[in-house]
Amino acid sequence: MPTTSEEVVRLEGVSKRYRRRESETLKEFLAAVARRKAAEPPFYALRDVSFSVRRGETVGIIGRNGSGKTTVLKLIAGVTVPTAGKVTVGGRVSALIELGAGFHPDLTGRENVYLKASILGMSRRRTRESYDAIVEFAELRAFMDTPVKRYSSGMFTRLAFAVAVHSQPEVFLIDESLSVGDAAFREKCYAKVRDFQAGGGTIVLVSHDLQTVASYCDRVLHLEDGRLLFDGDAEEGIARYAASREPAAAV
Amino acid sequence: MIETRRLTGALRTAHPGTMAANFWRFRYLLWYLVVRNLRIQYKQSIFGYAWVLLSPLFQLLVYSFVFSQVLNTPSQGGVPFLLFLLVGLIPWIFFSNSVAAATESISGGGALVTVVYFPREILTAASVLTRVIDLGAGLFLLVLVMLVEGEPLRWSALWMLPLLLVQVLFTLGLAFPLAALNLFFRDVRFLVAVGLNLWFFVTPVLYPVDIVPERYRFIYDLNPMSRLVSSYRWAMFTGVAPPVESILWSIAVSLAVLYVGYRLFKSMEPAFADNV
Repeated sequence: MPTTSEEVVRLEGVSKRYRRRESETLKEFLAAVARRKAAEPPFYALRDVSFSVRRGETVGIIGRNGSGKTTVLKLIAGVTVPTAGKVTVGGRVSALIELGAGFHPDLTGRENVYLKASILGMSRRRTRESYDAIVEFAELRAFMDTPVKRYSSGMFTRLAFAVAVHSQPEVFLIDESLSVGDAAFREKCYAKVRDFQAGGGTIVLVSHDLQTVASYCDRVLHLEDGRLLFDGDAEEGIARYAASREPAAAV
Repeated sequence: MIETRRLTGALRTAHPGTMAANFWRFRYLLWYLVVRNLRIQYKQSIFGYAWVLLSPLFQLLVYSFVFSQVLNTPSQGGVPFLLFLLVGLIPWIFFSNSVAAATESISGGGALVTVVYFPREILTAASVLTRVIDLGAGLFLLVLVMLVEGEPLRWSALWMLPLLLVQVLFTLGLAFPLAALNLFFRDVRFLVAVGLNLWFFVTPVLYPVDIVPERYRFIYDLNPMSRLVSSYRWAMFTGVAPPVESILWSIAVSLAVLYVGYRLFKSMEPAFADNV
């Protein structure tokens, strides 16, 4: 639980290290142990990052590709654990991290809704109750008995977003995924996001689209090479980030 | 050296009680994963679910021919060899298929492991539960063969149910660490295949345990699968309860294996998403 009742997400001195190589075979592992060979220098996705998010806040995370944005979401979602530091989350989290997160290609839309909802901790009855709303929102009534591998990426996203938003999370983590749908659907998603904000929900949004970030977020975090460069007012953060990018863009 | 530290990392305070609570909390997920597993496995084959029945049937016929007709292996207590074999073979197939499938439950988990969190033992348990279909098909086959052979169905056969539950606990206990280790070393699944094959022959499935020379008996006494297989036969064919010491030994070993296996699994769990 967070230390103050207001904080729902808290990262303290968090670092995340990844190995560069694929997992090794037993042979390589034993050889490495025998020779006491030092492993390749590890790759740090995050270095000593600390911030907290209060209930009802919408925080945007901006930064170049590979700056550690998605890693932050994965840590909050509990998918991966920090190498150093501490991550505390005090509420039910629903995450849209990758396209169609947790969907299985061979199952139908309907089955995937139930599967995904059960992962998010919804009971079967609650899922049944919100099923129509989910299908309605996703505009996929005619495709619910089709295996999702036949879906277009837009349909995939719509269904994933619909399930996630109807699971009534306290903390909603959104990655770039929203930019996949068509303009009309995107509008609908953002309207839903507004509703969620109005209802006091907490959002952590990762996006390359600075305009989106500017219109939804009170606060931004700017990550660069796994370090937190800026944490504060959205307008100021975006302006600084845009300025830092310009010289590179001009070249 | 990152791996070494992970593998020998301090155990989290997890025990089978935590596991049971997680199974209950995520019971719907467990169910949908079982449905998913079955769907995927039999979807693109012509005979579909019939394979659940056909595959043990072929095994039964081949083993029965080789061991009964060619090698003249005795059965026990005047029971027809086919039945004797079937009562051992069904639980063994369940065990062997479960362990093999569960070993790949985490490494084959894909996006379920990398982008969403839920207690990972659900994935492994779902693999084991999926194979209950083998058990169901096998027991159906057993009843058919018993009817054909005119073998009476005795009340003591009900002993099979609690014993099968013990077998499931034992299976889970083995499956957990194997599933976790297979993520770090993909060699594990090959080792599992070889290991199961060897184990099959030191479990009295194809022959009665009383033809094993006395000096090797201790292997069978220690092996919980051997105890269980002998107990299943006892329950099916004698009309009285299986020997108490066999039951107690199986329970004790199963619980111990489950306790250790589950803790190992949970201690490695934090690293799962980064290694799929």
